[in-house]
Amino acid sequence: MDPITKQPTLFNPEELVTEDRAHSAIYTSEEIFELEMERIFHGSWMYLGHHSEVPHPGDYQVRQIGRQSVIMVRGDDGTVRALMNRCSHRGMAVCEAEEGNTRFFRCWYHGWVYGNDGELQDVPKENGYGETFDKSEFGLKPAPWSADYRGFHFVSLRDPGISVDEYLGSAKKYIDPFLDASPLGEIEVLAGVHRTKYYGNWKFVGMDGYHPHFTHKSVLDMWSRKQGTNLGATHRGDPFADESGNLTRDMGNGHVMLDFYPGREQHYDTYLEGLLAKPGGREYLQAMEAAHGREEARRQLIWAGDPHAGIYPNMQLINIQIRIIRPISASETEILMFPALLKGVPDEINATRLRHHESFYGPAGTGAPDDAELFERNQVGLQNDVDPWIFLGRGIDRQTRDEAGDLVGLVSDEVTQRGQLKAWVKLMAKS
Amino acid sequence: MDSLADRVARFLYLEADLMDEHRFDEWLALWNQELLYWVPCNADDIDPSRQVSLIYDDRDALENRLARLQSPAAHSQIPRSRLRRVLSNIVITDQGESRVQASSNFILAESRHHRQVIIGGKSIHTLIDHGDTLRIKEKKVLLINNDDYINNLSFIV
Repeated sequence: MDPITKQPTLFNPEELVTEDRAHSAIYTSEEIFELEMERIFHGSWMYLGHHSEVPHPGDYQVRQIGRQSVIMVRGDDGTVRALMNRCSHRGMAVCEAEEGNTRFFRCWYHGWVYGNDGELQDVPKENGYGETFDKSEFGLKPAPWSADYRGFHFVSLRDPGISVDEYLGSAKKYIDPFLDASPLGEIEVLAGVHRTKYYGNWKFVGMDGYHPHFTHKSVLDMWSRKQGTNLGATHRGDPFADESGNLTRDMGNGHVMLDFYPGREQHYDTYLEGLLAKPGGREYLQAMEAAHGREEARRQLIWAGDPHAGIYPNMQLINIQIRIIRPISASETEILMFPALLKGVPDEINATRLRHHESFYGPAGTGAPDDAELFERNQVGLQNDVDPWIFLGRGIDRQTRDEAGDLVGLVSDEVTQRGQLKAWVKLMAKS
Repeated sequence: MDSLADRVARFLYLEADLMDEHRFDEWLALWNQELLYWVPCNADDIDPSRQVSLIYDDRDALENRLARLQSPAAHSQIPRSRLRRVLSNIVITDQGESRVQASSNFILAESRHHRQVIIGGKSIHTLIDHGDTLRIKEKKVLLINNDDYINNLSFIV
């Protein structure tokens, strides 16, 4: 503590996050934000993109990892690589488009040319560098740590000290339903992206089962006027009631989720009735049963492809979307929402999924703009430091551990926020 | 008798005022029973069955949208955006029996929370001509920033 202000000293993460409280400086301080960029966004596993976004040799997508530009590209050899977007000569960005297909990345400053595998292929007037010049040393640098789980590609720019496999840990089995809603177990992330931004801290994008009755009251009222038109996420009834059976879950390493499986299971019969009434619904059910067997098809349809999970720190799988969280400053955040199409299902099923997504999400959705508005009010409120602590103690005395070791609470409990902040402390304390 | 071009222009100016002033019921009354209100995302020409839009509303979805906007809990429009738009380059692009398609450009200024945002775009209206009145069957809005990060598009464009 600072002896004069009695405030936590910048920077000791353990002083800023206690068991049930967090200091507002972690949301407002630009100094802390700079450390987050270095220690979390450049220093740990980050979601880059899904392999289905680059289906053909030469396909690429350019993404930001913290402040650094990274190209996810499928080489002519079929391998998906993560290459740093920086010419090895003078450091120009070699890929100026956000996406496309190419055999070569050419730096237009001095004409150095790289293959889509990153190897340096051509240097104009190469003899000027002398006889010891070795092109193989000057390829585009790959992200030094790089691996995928079922096509979800993760990178780390510094030693994360842990494999992706260990990092995802028990969260992997909750990532699976996002893919296994397809009878082929595959998604196609080529449906475009909703890009939104808000003037607030990135950590507000939590996983919060307590806010919908208030933040999304206007939408819940709208749904209750027309029961049955609501999102697959919620099916029927009030999924955010503590009596719903739905859960909050902390899977470790900051991975958390709102587990809607128990509530959806109770409403499965009416859900199925609704699905069968939709165009393509019967064919979808049949394809799922043929692929997975009856029991497993039922289980996957209850999941409805929606883990509602946050993979710390920059990825979420919510309803049909893969969400990427991209911090700009302590008080500005960009969000990318990529709707995923299911492979092997009738076209009408994917179209219906897109319409459900659009109705709530994106900058013109009926839900997401209200989240953004509340996050901005949160940023205003947190500037007040007469009492700088926020309280995250909801459900702390009733949380339990399940057999897999996950911490579990009721759907409105702050198990998820505490889980994310535990990971934040751990990553930020890393020297 | 006014020319069709005059009637279409006057109709679009009226629509612009109703949108600017959040007069949702009067705006909805300009629409045909069966309708499509479409704001593509990422590019102007996309396949809505395979690609995401910013808005792809049928009547049901549009009525929901407008009902929500009038809720006391529509936070992203409390306070409401102050809006004013200018329409220009109105061109009749297609004409059939009791059906007319018009394209127009707009510049829309929005002010809210001490931030002013300028949005530009083109609207393509497919109108049903009932002789004395026009009704919107389809409206497709091509925003020049539909591939960019947008903070709040919860008002009507």
